[in-house]
Formats: sequence, C-alpha cells, structure tokens
Amino acid sequence: MNDTTAATLLQAPQLAVAGATTDRAERHLPGDADIWVFVIGDMLIFSVYFAAYIFFDRGQDHELFVASQRHLSQSLGVINTLILLTSSLFVALSVHATRAGDFGIASRFLSLGGGFGVGFLLLKSYEWYSKLSSGLTISTNAFFMHYYMLTGVHVFHVLIGLVFLLVLRSELHGTARPRVKLLEIGATYWHMVDFIWFLIFALLYLMR
Amino acid sequence: MTSASMTDVAERPSTRRSTETHAAKSRKRDQWICWWSLPIFYNLFGLIFVYLGKVMPPPKPGLTQAEIVEFIQANANSMQIAWVLLALSLGFASLSSGLIVTQMRRMSGVSAALAYTYLAVLAVAALPGCLFCSLMFALAAFRPDRDPQIVAMLYDMGMLSFVGSLGCFVTQYLVFAIAIFLDKRGIFPKWLAYMSIWGVVTELVAMPIWIFRGGTYAWDGLISFYLGTIIFVIWEVCLVTCLYNAIKRQPLEELTAAQA
Repeated sequence: MNDTTAATLLQAPQLAVAGATTDRAERHLPGDADIWVFVIGDMLIFSVYFAAYIFFDRGQDHELFVASQRHLSQSLGVINTLILLTSSLFVALSVHATRAGDFGIASRFLSLGGGFGVGFLLLKSYEWYSKLSSGLTISTNAFFMHYYMLTGVHVFHVLIGLVFLLVLRSELHGTARPRVKLLEIGATYWHMVDFIWFLIFALLYLMR
Repeated sequence: MTSASMTDVAERPSTRRSTETHAAKSRKRDQWICWWSLPIFYNLFGLIFVYLGKVMPPPKPGLTQAEIVEFIQANANSMQIAWVLLALSLGFASLSSGLIVTQMRRMSGVSAALAYTYLAVLAVAALPGCLFCSLMFALAAFRPDRDPQIVAMLYDMGMLSFVGSLGCFVTQYLVFAIAIFLDKRGIFPKWLAYMSIWGVVTELVAMPIWIFRGGTYAWDGLISFYLGTIIFVIWEVCLVTCLYNAIKRQPLEELTAAQA
C-alpha cells in the first residue's frame, strides 16, 4: 500500500468517498486519456443522433411523435433506468474496493454490476418483443425508426461494456497486482453507457 | 543499396523532428512507398467518387425511375471516366493493407490470425464497398436506351452496396481494435482502437438504409451517410498519421535480414 492510499484511508471518515481528494497534487484523471477521448467523442456522436431526432424528424411531425410515444411503457423505462443506475453503483464500488486492495470483493461487485447489465438487456429485449408483437416495427413511422435505432445502438454499447467488465474481472483474478487504472477505464465507459441511457430515456419516453 | 553508398552518406545531426538517418529511411523505403499510397489513393478516391462519379454526396433513394434515368444520362461521361480510373487504381489500395498487416505483425501478444483476417476482409470489402457503385453507374451509362427498370436496378445495386456493405468493415474495425488492445508494445495508440469501435457503430447505423427510401437513416441520410462519412474520414486521417509514426519509430533491428 503506498503513501497516498494510506493517507487517503486515514482520512476516510472525513471523505465522503474513499479515494477522493481535493488536494491538487493528488488529483488524477480516472483511467487514462484514451478512454476519455472515446467517451467524449462517443457522446458527441450520440448528440448528433439526438439532434437528428429532435430537430430533423420530431420537429417535422410533433403530433405523430407524441401519439407514438404513448405506446412506450414509461414504467419499463423507469425500471431500466434504475437497473442501470444500480449496475453503475456496483461498478463504482468495485473500483473503490480495488483501490483498497479488496480484489475478491471488487470482483463480486463487478459480477453484480454485469448481472444488472444483463438484466437491462433482458428487459430491453422483452420491450422490443412486445412492441414488435403489437406490429410496431422500425418502418412503422419516424418515431419508431428512431426508437429502434437509438435503443439498438445503446444495446450495442451495453454489450461492449459487458465485454469490458469481463476483461476487468479477468484482471482482478488473473494478475497478482490488478491495475486500478484498468478498473477506472472500464468504469468510466460503463458510466457513460448509463448516462447515455438517461438521455435516451428522457428523449424517447418522457419528452413530450 | 550498396555498401559504398551507405558509407558515403553523412549522418544528419539529431533534431526533434527527424532522428532518422538517410540510411535508416532507405531500409524502410518499401514501407514508405506503401504509406504514400494512402494519401495518393484517397485523393484519387475523392476525385473519382465526389467529382466524377457523382456518388458522394449520394443521389437520393427516393427518385422515380424517370429521374434516375435522367441522372445517369446527365452524368454518363464523367461516370464512365470515374469507373475507368477506379478500375485502374483500386489495386493500389491493397498496398496500405499490406503495410498495416506488416505493422500488426510487430505487435506483441498478437498472432498472425488477426493480421491475416484484416488482409482478407479488406480484399473482400473492395468489391461491394468500392467497385460496385462506380461499376453499376458506368454500366447504366453505357447504353443510353437501356430499359429504365434495369437502369433503376443498377442505380439501387450501386448505392445500396456502397453504403450498405456493412459486415466487411465491421470485421475490419473490430479486428484492428482487438489487436491494438492486446498489443503490449503500443505500435498504435489505444485511442485509435476506440475510434475503430466508432467505425463499427457507423456500420450499425447504416443498417436501416436497406429499408428506408428517405430520411435520416436512408442511404443519403444525415446519420447513415453523412455522420458515417465524417467519422470514417477522421479515422482514416488518424490511421495514416499513426502509421507514419509507427514506421518512423520502428527500430532498424526489427527489419528482416532481406531488407538490409
């Protein structure tokens, strides 16, 4: 355990979150610069998707979109949001546990986080299935075109995220000294996936 | 390169910009030739597809048969020139594949499997992703009195394959990203791997072009075409830059004895 970790843990009662510090000398970028390039760039790309939804298509036929939105279950949207929030919580706890050196606990938190991620995918599949059975397909209208595309691209990101979480798990199990930086990289990506879901939820399910 | 000329060449003093001696550069000359194929080919590609071939920006999927025929006939000559230029130069693109594979083979923890996959998948991708479009337009332009239904079919075949040849490129991007992630030597930077994942997403959002004849996700759509093209151009510029750095930094000892 190095001095920074020891000092941080000693201050644990004063700090809301273990590992956090306001000391300028100790602040660091979680993960590395590469993952932040990815995260920020990915969010820029998603914002183009959202801009297309809001300004290009929804602006053209507002009533159609509002009417189509009624077919979406807000309850399912809320449950999915809670599922991803919980999974992000577990992934964050896993990073903290890794920093504290509790690799076994960290791994279990990762499994929980990934498990909730799988839960999201299952619920999303059920939601798609129920829409498709009602005859609402990607070519039904412009709203559903965006619905399937936005949620579909997001699902792809969740799948990639699950692969990243598996890589993190194997880092925790497979190496004698798991690198915290790798955990932070994976967690950063997972939180982005969570955040993007919030935006999709707000746009597709809530915004009238 | 004869030994006499090697000793004749004076060593340039090290500068921040160029620390390679003339001798070192000449041993990497084959790789530099391959590297130059990239800016040359892509400029030619721009001339062919944008200016002559009328493929980019794409003509609309929602045109009527009569409008399609008019589009072909109005641009017949330049489409034919575009096709001839492309047919002559497309093989040139494989120089860059060979170069990328050479650099991929330097990666540690990565076997030949991923490099060969990259090579194979781009060889396959050239036909639908590049050739088909120009060829179909040139075919349509070849006989002005062709049946409009056939002209419309050729038009669809060209554009759909150009924008919608998804899987070859998904594989290319994925294999490249995986290799970079696995590589412990850092031949290419990790952010290039993440950008390659964006490339995969551009193919995913191009999937709907096979359904829609207009709008955001059609073959001329804001997302399916324009955003995808912008991301591709950015990725290509980054790839060319990273390749340049990779060749520059490659230690001479790594070059095979045959290259001495």
